[in-house]
Amino acid sequence: MSSNNPIIAAADALSAAAASGTPCAPVKDSIAALGIDGAYAVQSELTRRAIAGARTLVGRKIGLTSKAVQTQLGVDQPDYGMLFADMEIADHEIIPLSRFLQPRVEAEIAFVLDRDLDDAEITLGKLIPAIAFTLPAIEIVDSRIADWKISILDTIADNASSGAYVIGGSPAKISDLDLRLCGMSMELKGEPVSVGCGAACLGNPLNAALWLARRMAALGSPLKAGDVVLSGALGPMIPVTPGASYTARINGLGTVTAHFGEKA
Amino acid sequence: MMSVDTQRIGLFLDNAARTATAVPQFTGSEAFDLDAAYRIQQASIAARLQRGERIVGMKMGFTSRAKMVQMGVSDMICGRLTDAMLVEDGGSIRMADFVHPRVEPEIAFLLKRSIRGKLTPLQAMDAVEAVAPALEIIDSRYEAFKFSLSDVVADNSSSSAFVVGAWCRPDSDLDNLGMVMSFDGRAEAIGSSAAILGHPARSLAAAARLADERGLELEAGSIVLAGGATAASALRAGLHVSLEVQTLGFTGFSVTE
Repeated sequence: MSSNNPIIAAADALSAAAASGTPCAPVKDSIAALGIDGAYAVQSELTRRAIAGARTLVGRKIGLTSKAVQTQLGVDQPDYGMLFADMEIADHEIIPLSRFLQPRVEAEIAFVLDRDLDDAEITLGKLIPAIAFTLPAIEIVDSRIADWKISILDTIADNASSGAYVIGGSPAKISDLDLRLCGMSMELKGEPVSVGCGAACLGNPLNAALWLARRMAALGSPLKAGDVVLSGALGPMIPVTPGASYTARINGLGTVTAHFGEKA
Repeated sequence: MMSVDTQRIGLFLDNAARTATAVPQFTGSEAFDLDAAYRIQQASIAARLQRGERIVGMKMGFTSRAKMVQMGVSDMICGRLTDAMLVEDGGSIRMADFVHPRVEPEIAFLLKRSIRGKLTPLQAMDAVEAVAPALEIIDSRYEAFKFSLSDVVADNSSSSAFVVGAWCRPDSDLDNLGMVMSFDGRAEAIGSSAAILGHPARSLAAAARLADERGLELEAGSIVLAGGATAASALRAGLHVSLEVQTLGFTGFSVTE
């Protein structure tokens, strides 16, 4: 399994953790000399393997969009990860816990695009009309790194700690929304367990989407028509309790429920 | 149970508030129960009224389940608001007037008729003339903000000052309004009105119930502060504090030496 190439070795360790369900040690030390670019190279290697294994790329997630999380990881930029078709879960569908190692949930906005975005200097004026509609979403984040002891390099290498995402079925037009001040409440048994609003995501979820669109175009893997973009969290991330049902309400966007199965 | 000199403690806490002096919490043989704490609060408010202050409303505290769990309590608490505590929208406060003030974003209700007793949130909302974004400046008179439930109730539930933005008609849904409190224009705390018991109207209904239980009046024209939507942040001289609430607008104030 072990390779002399640190990128391949880190990708191998993360793949093995995902396949076995047993988290691995942080990969940061092996790729430290290569920095952020090295971490994304690990992610690209994992994406290459996923596509070779017939998984379909359907969008991107944006991570590290809250100031508190950026401070915690010592960065001043968000990061991104890949979304594959098999990661999408329907509203109220029962989600088997066996899919995850150490899942957590956070409420987000999903943007669905109606055209390709291949301009690395795209502006907000061009991005906004390219958003077909929004949907409320709960992202199930997960880490292949034991106990979530992640550095910035670990999370980027590990596909931005993505797991799956649940998407609500109420499309809303962006012009009808206040994306900065839309309130968000994620509830468990009727109690708010994570509360926030759009401003928690880089000041406005559109800022995160714009950053991603530019970045993807610059890297030659532009966002495509029909792609889903998960904005980043509107409130704190919550560890998943087996059997629990989390409902996120986002003002103007509707609701979405992540319903987890009991253990394994 | 030993008798508690509620009058003496009420005047002591009023003096601590008036002179911005920190006092130790009441422990051991000095401790008192919740009923005594509300009588102490009443005595401290009576001292304010004697100085010519006027009651203008009520503030609610411990309105998030998380806060109740943290404090090991199962109910909300209340404090009284007087006209002397009302800071003009866009006005300023002086640090010297407080012990260790903190600020939290809230929703304020203005009543068009009195409420009292057991009401549904819908019935309570029916008595609302207007709603507004509000900032509450809380300032425990206890050293290091350390207190028991009874201590804080006796200390008028830490209420010390509040700012209310422009009043809006209560016709918009209040249950999940995004709230951003900024310090000098940068987001300091981000939340939603849903953090207030899931819906601020539940806090208003609780205010009517508490008023009844404690023999307090919530008359027409009263202001009710529904409780903090995020954790409180410490204030310091030189800050400008502002709050934006989805659909309701904004309010703010400055802090001087």
